[in-house]
Amino acid sequence: MTGLPQDSAAGLTSANPGPGEVPLPSNGERTGNSGPCVCATLRTSLSCDLSSVSAARLELRGFLQQHGVRREEVSACELALAEACNNAIQSATTDGRRRSVEVLAICTRSKVELHVNDHTLGFDWPSSAVELPDIQDEHGRGLFFIQSVMDSATYFRRRDGNGLIMRKMRAQAQSDNSAPQTGVASEAERSAQLAEMQQVLGEMVRELCFRSETLAAICRCSADLGRSNDLKEFSERLLNDLLHIAVAEWFLVRTIDERGHFSIFVASTDTASVRDIVFGPGKLSYAEAESARTRADVEFGPNQPLAPEDPLAILFPGVTGLVHPIRVDQTLIGTLAIGRSPLDSPFSVAQREVIRTFADFLASQMLNGKLREEQISNRLIGHELEIARSIQRSLLPKTLPKLRGFGLAAHCQSARQVGGDFYDLLQVSDTSVLLVIADVMGKGVPAALFAAQLRSLVRANPESSTRPAQLLTRINQLLFDDLSRVSMFITAQIVLLDVAQRRAVVGSAGHCPLLVGQRGGATVQAVTSDGLPLGVMHNTTFEESSLMLPAGARLLLYTDGVTESRNRSGECFGEHRLQEWLRSNGNSLRSTDSLKANLISTLNEFESSSLQGEGAPHGKRPLSNGQKERQRGRIAMKAKAALKLASDSLYDDRTFLIAAEEETAADRPDRSGSRNKL
Amino acid sequence: MKIHDSGDVLTISNIKELAAGNSDSFREEVRAAVPSGIKAIEIDLTDTDFVDSCGLGALISVYKLVNSRNGPVPVRLINPAPSIQQIFELTRLHRIFEIVKSE
Repeated sequence: MTGLPQDSAAGLTSANPGPGEVPLPSNGERTGNSGPCVCATLRTSLSCDLSSVSAARLELRGFLQQHGVRREEVSACELALAEACNNAIQSATTDGRRRSVEVLAICTRSKVELHVNDHTLGFDWPSSAVELPDIQDEHGRGLFFIQSVMDSATYFRRRDGNGLIMRKMRAQAQSDNSAPQTGVASEAERSAQLAEMQQVLGEMVRELCFRSETLAAICRCSADLGRSNDLKEFSERLLNDLLHIAVAEWFLVRTIDERGHFSIFVASTDTASVRDIVFGPGKLSYAEAESARTRADVEFGPNQPLAPEDPLAILFPGVTGLVHPIRVDQTLIGTLAIGRSPLDSPFSVAQREVIRTFADFLASQMLNGKLREEQISNRLIGHELEIARSIQRSLLPKTLPKLRGFGLAAHCQSARQVGGDFYDLLQVSDTSVLLVIADVMGKGVPAALFAAQLRSLVRANPESSTRPAQLLTRINQLLFDDLSRVSMFITAQIVLLDVAQRRAVVGSAGHCPLLVGQRGGATVQAVTSDGLPLGVMHNTTFEESSLMLPAGARLLLYTDGVTESRNRSGECFGEHRLQEWLRSNGNSLRSTDSLKANLISTLNEFESSSLQGEGAPHGKRPLSNGQKERQRGRIAMKAKAALKLASDSLYDDRTFLIAAEEETAADRPDRSGSRNKL
Repeated sequence: MKIHDSGDVLTISNIKELAAGNSDSFREEVRAAVPSGIKAIEIDLTDTDFVDSCGLGALISVYKLVNSRNGPVPVRLINPAPSIQQIFELTRLHRIFEIVKSE
């Protein structure tokens, strides 16, 4: 009896070799009909049933006998084949039970080689000799027999079934003295050895393909990652590759937050049918919750069914698969559920390894993605601040106007958060300037844009420049709609400084008072005038206060960033200290620029001090009582104060303008002359 | 497979093989046929050309069955082929079974 016809046996290689698979040479080479064969192969397959082992064994016996193998060697091979087949059949997976066990026997002059493949989860083939079980034990002699009667046995794990290769060396062939026959024989033998090597090589190539497919998928996805910013899209591609490599049918990735809320991240299935879950008590038996809790794989299948109410069981009834926690070190990011149809076998060791590799890779990408998002958002904020800052800078006058007898100085220190402080100085005539200072409530680009608008409106109404109150009324009408739409408002102060008439006209829209000091004078005057901040009320009017400039006058306009400078005890600099500063520096300092430098250093020193104040009153302008309008204004300013406190007033803009009458020898007669004119 | 009960001795013969495919049925049939006052079991392996680890398991279970019920009851294996005898020796089971060669 010879081997089965080739087409009746599937052989160890699949009918359609995949990429990288080396088909086994199918040459059942035999010598002529006279002598014993020098190389022959037998392929046979048996159904996954113990009762079919006998037939395969008898087939092998016939084949080996026909090729002159000694009786003891035949018996040994029969026993080894039977034990290998028993193992393959008894341990077959659900899927494996539907498939056949393939047997290949190769008989050469020097040895017999038996290949048996199996569809089991794979064995851990013992590396050393198996010990005999207790003499009365009914089981556990199969591997012992294979090891005892054969000369070697090698076990391979592969993607589509594992393989056992057993070898039995043949006793030296007896009467072999015909030279030509020897030549032919050795050639045939070499080709048998070649076939054998190709077989082993094929196994290795397949294993290598599996690994390299995994690696290639990860590399491909890594390359994609550089191109795409969409983490979800990337994850889907990665996991679809995983489905292909691990022979799975579906996946579902959920992210988990600190409140135990599982949200769908990506899924191979229609996500409309998947709901987000909040895992609470009673839901801990869900496979995904279990895996998240234990940080370990949770497997499920026919033998370990999911709880009937488990969302996975509802989505994929009776599935086989596992849930793997997605985590980087101890940081849990989410879970990956992956599975295949109920009829399939559980994932093999190698497949589970691949799933783990992919999940780890995904975890690191998801964590990177999270960090990158935060970076981008920080960069955007930084970018916006840069824009706001440059708008703010561009609004401030590059050069200050000249005013005879007076020095002018301005300072605007941008806060880290960039508020809406703004100042302007406009030359009205040779002897008069318009001083404008404003604080837009709000920060960033919107505040800067309102400051820009305010600046153009002031500059666009030169006819009103001598009437600060009129100018404020007009500006309020024009800005009201825009400001109230975004619930913002502006406090502003406009001062017309007329040195010819030696007077100052002050209009205020809810702004800090104008402080007027005098060189050598003992008092400082806080000049305020009634008026709501701009944007609080549409038809409101502003009052004007007019005052005569004392000799050696010093005018200080400021925003509340100055009075609200805080020291380390959290105490405000306050209007009282500011007035005190103006009064006490009246004599010692002459130039406006040195006054400015002194105020800046005074504020900085105050901020770095932790001195508890002497109960200095908090810097608030006096509000006259009674009128409803003023009440509303007060509310608005309280709101602003609260807002500033919340956003850390240390970071508020700090702006002030100083106009100081300068006493120079050259100026003195001129100044006294102008005083005489009054 | 034939089972003959002479009262004291149960003889089983005509066994083609003792392997995974038939070891369960062998075990059950013998178990059912063992009389209570049995003195010995003779398993005739003259026609048997193959025994594997499952077949050995079945023989061991028969041995344990009769020796748990009443005293020491010998289980004799009659005329095993050399290759099969070798299997018993390899697994040292010739220590619990009596191997009998008829001429």
